[in-house]
Amino acid sequence: MKRFITMKWVFAGTFAVLTVLSIVTWCIQPPAAPPGKKPLVWVTDTNPLRTEQVSLFNRSHAQTDLELDPNDSGVEKVIVQSIGGVGPDVFDAFDGSQLAAFAKSGVALDVTDALKARGVDIASSAFPAVLNAAMLDGRVYGVPTNIAADATWFHRDIFDEAHIPYPKGPIKWDEVIRIAQKLTVRDANGRITRFGILLPWWNWRHFFAGFGAHVFSPDGTRCVVDSPEAIAAVELMHDLVYKYHVCPSPAEEAGIASQGGFGASDSGVFGAKRAAMAVGGRWWLSELRKIPDLHLGVFESPFQNVRHFRAYGRATLVSRETKNLDAALDFLVFLAGKSYNQLVNDQADGSSAFPAYDTGPQFLHNPKHPEEDYNEVWQTASRYSVPDDLCPFVDSTTSTRLFQNQLDLIQNNLKTPAQAMRDAAANINAEIQHAIADDPSLAARYRAATGSK
Amino acid sequence: MKRKRSDLGHAVWFLAPNLVGFVLFTAGPVIFSLGASLTNWNLQRSVPLQFTGLKNFVDLTHDNEFWLDFVNTLYLMVGIPFAIAGSLWIAVLLNRKIKGLAAYRTLLYLPSFTSGVALMLLWKALYNPDFGPINTVLRSIFDAVGLGRHVDTPQWLLSTRNLAGLNVEHIGIDKHQFGLGARDALNLMGIWTAIGGSNMLLYLAALTNVPEELVEAAKLDGATNWSAFKFVTWPHLAPTTFFIVVMSCIGGLQGGFETARVMTAGGPAGTTTTLAYHIYSHAFERFQIGYASAISWVLFAVIFIVTALNWKFGQRGGADV
Repeated sequence: MKRFITMKWVFAGTFAVLTVLSIVTWCIQPPAAPPGKKPLVWVTDTNPLRTEQVSLFNRSHAQTDLELDPNDSGVEKVIVQSIGGVGPDVFDAFDGSQLAAFAKSGVALDVTDALKARGVDIASSAFPAVLNAAMLDGRVYGVPTNIAADATWFHRDIFDEAHIPYPKGPIKWDEVIRIAQKLTVRDANGRITRFGILLPWWNWRHFFAGFGAHVFSPDGTRCVVDSPEAIAAVELMHDLVYKYHVCPSPAEEAGIASQGGFGASDSGVFGAKRAAMAVGGRWWLSELRKIPDLHLGVFESPFQNVRHFRAYGRATLVSRETKNLDAALDFLVFLAGKSYNQLVNDQADGSSAFPAYDTGPQFLHNPKHPEEDYNEVWQTASRYSVPDDLCPFVDSTTSTRLFQNQLDLIQNNLKTPAQAMRDAAANINAEIQHAIADDPSLAARYRAATGSK
Repeated sequence: MKRKRSDLGHAVWFLAPNLVGFVLFTAGPVIFSLGASLTNWNLQRSVPLQFTGLKNFVDLTHDNEFWLDFVNTLYLMVGIPFAIAGSLWIAVLLNRKIKGLAAYRTLLYLPSFTSGVALMLLWKALYNPDFGPINTVLRSIFDAVGLGRHVDTPQWLLSTRNLAGLNVEHIGIDKHQFGLGARDALNLMGIWTAIGGSNMLLYLAALTNVPEELVEAAKLDGATNWSAFKFVTWPHLAPTTFFIVVMSCIGGLQGGFETARVMTAGGPAGTTTTLAYHIYSHAFERFQIGYASAISWVLFAVIFIVTALNWKFGQRGGADV
């Protein structure tokens, strides 16, 4: 009995101590923002450049304390946290499908009228290719924060050693394949030590753009990856690796890629000169600038049928649950303004999402980086850029997974590109039918788009 | 009687924190998910919330993806008997009085207290088809025996092939699929991780409880080491084996999420997507909470049946101790 009482007091004492400590912790917790300032939490990616962007905003908005939260990035996290009442004030959508998920789940706030009242009209001022991440069904949910229209990087010294003149756009795939074959280097065992060009399969949309291929029909009611253009695009992806042997296979890519860090893999492989050319965005500079003794050049990406380049970009949205709506809207206005967009250009966080800001000597010939004499190429790429196709009838995760599964089967030699694309189209179209059967509002929209009963 | 009442009061107070936590964070959500499984609940609000009865469960029966992922889950459990047998073998070896026993035990237990993600990244590098050490060794062996030109090394995590020849897109066998691929790679890794883990410790603890005099008596009667193990030691290990089998089956049916997330993203072509990853994908990538809850309950039913079968048939043959 005595022992029991002793144990009872141990437990009770422990409980009391923990309670007191909890109360003390609660009392001394730091305020969400310094006194007199409104806190604003921004969920975005882990790009280290964001810190300077936050500082710029905080310097110009004394009443607000903007804080970064890169750890809660991800559609599922933002939606679940916001529905649970602990979401961020502002957060990023990285493409149209993410915006659709945020808008449909009621997490993103429609800011069409609020932005108009503040004199911001993104529909007429931003590149059309990045509007997908900020606008849905004609309504504005945020402001595009950058654009990345892919172009082709190359190492000037490798070209000089091979006595090959620097390529210039517009340029077609045949010519680039010829150059890539000349620049691909093998060791004594026949193993490739330097690839002619790096264009990973995850970037299949880039091939689609240059072939004039689409994922969905213009009304979004049908998947059309079985079109001749789409099949030809995938055949070229396959041939670059398995026929011409100028581009790494997924296994080779996994072997040469470094691990970890923001944007480390593809730009790291290119920066290490494991490839003479690489298709990528201007945002690669945030990593490439750190590597000494690189002599880089950029030319327009090759295309086949249409001089189009895939573009993508972030947009920052406002949470419907934010307690600091005015501060959040101020942040959106800031993102559409001159100081932020010049900083984006200087940092090479892609380039400005607004054509008004990617012109002029500051952008084309940045005095801090005189060696970067290729910014005109990014300007051209942005102007010829096209957005990713969207389909309101199937979620992007599902359609991308079904498409990726077929790419895997091509890589495993289980299907030809033509067979795989036909099956991908059939599977995605079946998913569309399944989705509209489950959702009356989608079904109505589908009927309206197709004119069916 | 008075004292009993007083004890009950104390017991309730001591149990209360755990009970409240259990009701709020385990039992409550479980019951809630049962309710959710009977609805079309979707976090994307364009779908109005409706009671749909058993529709989600009926839909599951003709969801090809669900069945493929179910088969993947079962296939990834093929390594369990090997892992258990390996754990027992190592435990028997470590139960002997040999030099450096503590070092061996620590080394074999290392994988269990190393970060799972770190191990997965390590195995991912080991399995690289071109540069990974496993294929490098295999290539050397093939070259040494003159098979280098005739036999390709496995593509491991990039390959849809498997030892059972399972079809990728439908339930069935496909002769083109025979070989070694991602699923076998995960099985091998699973065996390596589990062989020296907690199962080994459980067997070690059980082995120390086997009466030495019984083993010695058997040997005096002329039993070989194997006979003594088979007729004396093994029956004493039956309760431990039963526990390990049950826990491994439960773990196997619930598993595969981390490996899919870190190593394969569920690919290639969905061949390493297990039911756990399938549930996550429906709930948090497609936001179909109702459907994901239904899958969770089906998974629960499967685990319950497997455990009940283990309970019914697995407890036989133990020693009367």
